[in-house]
Amino acid sequence: MTAKHVEESGYTRREMMAVALARQIKDGMVCIAGTGLPLLGATLAKLTSAPNSIIISETGIIDGRLDQLPIGVSDTRFAYRASTWWPRYRYCGFLIKMRDKINLGFLGGAQIDPYGNLNSTSIGDYHHPSIRFTGSGGANGIATNVNTVIIMRHEKRRFVDKVDYLTSPGWIDGESGRKKLGLPDKGPSAVVTTLGIMRFDQKSRRMYVGECYPGVSAEEIKENTGFTIDLSRAVLSDPPDDHILSVLRQIDKDRLYI
Amino acid sequence: MLMTCSEAIEKYVHDGDTIAVGGFTTNRKPYALIREIIRQGKKKLYVEGSGSGGEIDLLIGAGCVKLLVNAYLSNGAFGNIGRRFKRAVERAELEFEDYSLDVQPLRLHAAALGLPFIAVSSLLAGSDLEKKWGISAGKYLQDPKLPPAKLLVDKNPFNPEERLVYLPSPKIDVALIHVQKAAYDCTARIEGPVFIDVDLIMAARHTIISCEELVDPEELRREPWLNQIPSIIPDAIVHLPFGAHPSQCVNYYDYDPQMMYLYDYVCRDDGLYQGFLNDYIYSLQGHQEYLDKVNRYCLNKLMVGEKNYVENLVRSNNRS
Repeated sequence: MTAKHVEESGYTRREMMAVALARQIKDGMVCIAGTGLPLLGATLAKLTSAPNSIIISETGIIDGRLDQLPIGVSDTRFAYRASTWWPRYRYCGFLIKMRDKINLGFLGGAQIDPYGNLNSTSIGDYHHPSIRFTGSGGANGIATNVNTVIIMRHEKRRFVDKVDYLTSPGWIDGESGRKKLGLPDKGPSAVVTTLGIMRFDQKSRRMYVGECYPGVSAEEIKENTGFTIDLSRAVLSDPPDDHILSVLRQIDKDRLYI
Repeated sequence: MLMTCSEAIEKYVHDGDTIAVGGFTTNRKPYALIREIIRQGKKKLYVEGSGSGGEIDLLIGAGCVKLLVNAYLSNGAFGNIGRRFKRAVERAELEFEDYSLDVQPLRLHAAALGLPFIAVSSLLAGSDLEKKWGISAGKYLQDPKLPPAKLLVDKNPFNPEERLVYLPSPKIDVALIHVQKAAYDCTARIEGPVFIDVDLIMAARHTIISCEELVDPEELRREPWLNQIPSIIPDAIVHLPFGAHPSQCVNYYDYDPQMMYLYDYVCRDDGLYQGFLNDYIYSLQGHQEYLDKVNRYCLNKLMVGEKNYVENLVRSNNRS
């Protein structure tokens, strides 16, 4: 992100990404949000366009008011005036048994393949990795049980043909990939990146460019993607309005995420 | 039994033990107990982790851990990846296994119920969590500290069409839990989220509880339904106010962002890290000296009110 770009548009790409994430949450939706940008997007949605959405944390928090931005999924800020804070195994049971009550889960990762399979474990050989990450956390369960929106930094080394470690299943290898493995009939619907929003073809389940952020060309997304990606359906995203930008900057005034 | 921190760790935590630690990432982590384990130089610990945070990173960084069963390890926005954990894996200095934050709590729950295993459908299917094992099949069979395997995939005996993943229950020697209130008779109460802590206690052979307040048993026995830990379970109760610092403790204090950022900063350099261990652990006699070093004035600013967090807490990183 260059200072020049901020001057011209009035916002950074990371801010655009947070706004794009918040737009995925429609009012009244039930969503699971994890640490990082998903939490920022969920808090932003809750305070602007989706005040009646219900946000869930993998630590068992159901429907917190999110008055202040939490630093993680066990932060008491996530649970402010929440309905319930369950023991952990209750969340697991809820996810498995009541998956149809949950509209969306948000996931982040280090690598993604054309079918939305995600790696948040390690780069290189699993036993002797060149880079190690936190590991699954709640991601595997979320990807298994509910429809997801994935958050990624858009870089060639992150958008790869094959992930080094498959932490969270996406569409596996296409149309019948999940069914073959006995995975529930859910899957990733969008990848919100630093450059735009990628979606998955209804039939082939392969990723394509859905939206480019203002100032980003489809060509730029192609150059930053490590696999062949269809550009023909790309449209331009609406820029963020001043109100949402001011709320975003206010809730993250400590610059925890942006 | 009421004990000092050093007595409890000396008596119940031994080299090579499997420990499990309560709380979740930055919430109610038994940091004072962890610092005492490091001070006493315990070695070759096995850790059954679930919502691990900086406390497990600290144990790894201080060279106390041989093997980590990992599901997640993070301090949230204060340092997303446990840097010492990350470094130890990248340098091949730590044995590890990976589960998710769904199946690991279920394994711990099964262990607490005395069940030999728990079976799940669809979870882990299609992922490398199922296919790749951090620890070899041979080691699982040979090492008495470990269950006989990471997992087993087989059909559901009641419905042979269905494919299940069978997960063996872990074996835990010691559970380390920080609570808000404990009594002289060892009754204890967690105020706030319990996470998977009661299960850790019931799964473990021994339990050490540290508490913010040590109270008269009558105070807790007036409402027994609010207590999760009966008097006959804990082996040791240790009175350690601010024992979860720098993590949060519901009804008492918020996390300490500056300490969290300091930790993330020193983690990036081996020399700085050793200096940090020396300054905040090795050179100090115990928890009281730690609190003096952190400074009472700073701690008072973390005390929570009605909202259970400090509304105007400065959470920006002063170091960047």
